[in-house]
Amino acid sequence: MAKNDILLSVEGLTRRFGGLVAVSDVELSVARGEILGLIGPNGAGKTTVFNMLGGTFPPSSGRIRFDGTDVTGWPSHRMAQLGLTRTFQITSLFPTLSVLENVRAASFRRAKTGWAGAFFRTRAWREDEAALARRAEEILDFVALGHRRDMPAQALPYGEQRKLEIAVALGADPTLLLLDEPAAGMNPDEGAKLVQMIRAIRDRGVSVLLVEHHMKVVMGVCDRLVVLDHGVKIAEGQPQAVASHPEVIRVYLGREKVGA
Amino acid sequence: MIKGRLPLVVAVLGILPFVVGNAYLQHMLVLWAIYALLALSLNMIVGYLGELTFGHAAFFGIGAYTSAILSMNYGLPVWLGPFAAAIVAAFFGAVIGYVALRIVGPQFAILTLGFGSILYTITNYWVDLTRGPMGISNIPPFSLPGLDIDFTRADRMYYVALVVLLLVAYGCRALMTSRTGRAFIAVRENAPLAASTGIDVFHTKLLGFTIATALAGVGGALYGHYLRVITPDLMSLQYVAALIIMVIVGGKGTIIGPIIGAGIYVALLEALRVVGSLRLVVFAALLTLCVIFLPGGLVSLWRRYAGRQAAGGAS
Repeated sequence: MAKNDILLSVEGLTRRFGGLVAVSDVELSVARGEILGLIGPNGAGKTTVFNMLGGTFPPSSGRIRFDGTDVTGWPSHRMAQLGLTRTFQITSLFPTLSVLENVRAASFRRAKTGWAGAFFRTRAWREDEAALARRAEEILDFVALGHRRDMPAQALPYGEQRKLEIAVALGADPTLLLLDEPAAGMNPDEGAKLVQMIRAIRDRGVSVLLVEHHMKVVMGVCDRLVVLDHGVKIAEGQPQAVASHPEVIRVYLGREKVGA
Repeated sequence: MIKGRLPLVVAVLGILPFVVGNAYLQHMLVLWAIYALLALSLNMIVGYLGELTFGHAAFFGIGAYTSAILSMNYGLPVWLGPFAAAIVAAFFGAVIGYVALRIVGPQFAILTLGFGSILYTITNYWVDLTRGPMGISNIPPFSLPGLDIDFTRADRMYYVALVVLLLVAYGCRALMTSRTGRAFIAVRENAPLAASTGIDVFHTKLLGFTIATALAGVGGALYGHYLRVITPDLMSLQYVAALIIMVIVGGKGTIIGPIIGAGIYVALLEALRVVGSLRLVVFAALLTLCVIFLPGGLVSLWRRYAGRQAAGGAS
């Protein structure tokens, strides 16, 4: 794989909380156009890795390179400005705004004209507004929420709120989308639809890093898996190969049959 | 809500001084326009950024003192006073915001209360500059270069305050359709999510806070040149409370709400003059009732009504 095909590369990622080493020396990479799954049992350090990649807190040591830039320890908004957008494990929306306004509020990175343009209603502002509106509508149609556009986000049923979260993240125009347990609380049918949506997101040219519990979702959608246990990477590779890896079977034993 | 009817609203506001006819009511109209401007500036922090501040009156006072002192002691033309007031108030706003906005919620509100008290105390004791508790009197009235208009008259000053108010209201409207304003709202609604879409939460808040304090400064300057007497009491909690009541009772996060709230405040203040200090109890009750039963303020009544009409029309 050529060097510039790597979108995200992580080396020696370590995070300590006091005496506890939550993540130790993790190495992983995401290629352009790839869907990478990060899995592991509870307490494996998936969320800690995720939070470091998303800029919630800096790593204790290690390097994170994104799109040719060293982004180690950058705060969330700077990561997002560069095209690395995260979602949240617990449903996270702009609750009182309408569905459409949710996506528009997330288009900060795309919008160019500020207050002065709006005050004088410049041509640039009008064009910008029209383009943003079209784009927001397109994203809503993409996640099949077009019919809900004027509803307040907080009034949506749970499954649609999770879809809207993805729409909001897409509104920020990412090149790499970090999804934190998007299938949490979904039934198998919704999970299957989610798999389709993640594939469609990749087809839009957005690479995806997925942290997930649901094995069915992970096996169905990921090109490659990285398995963590106790903060250490224990396996990496194609989903089928990883599922039969003895270490992976050992850590999942008694919890859930891999690939089921 | 007033879309399409805006020219009518402006026309009505324009002829109001002639309609009310007497100087006393015209005086109240000026107070309303200035308070409405201040309420809109507070609304930017409370309604758009979603942070409660108890320090807003301090910036009102800074604006009033800046314009008064510069025009009286340093020969600044009075019409430049509001601009100078905006700059000085914004400077204080930026410095205080830079420190205080690192924390959020009740702690932020308490910190602004502290900063407000500090500014009040300084104004009260720095007698050389502010003449202390006696205040500054004989402040020159507002004037415009090359125009011989007597702005001590309420019906004239009203138009100055109204033009500034309408400009600010339009500015707020424009803000809400710009990426800057959407960032304000995103930060209010969900700061971590806003950050994940590329919005710098701290800088967004600092920007909003600084603009709001600049506008409060403008309001203060107009107020000082109109009443021509100012005392440190402008910075006291009484004014903080008044502004919060206007914003909450009228409807925070809207443009028309704080303007209506200011009108209700000015009207009630006069209507309840006979009951003396008891009117403060009435205001407290009004605020409490609004928070409990009408969290969207009085404008939300209209929305409910309009919503019912729309629903009725559709069925």
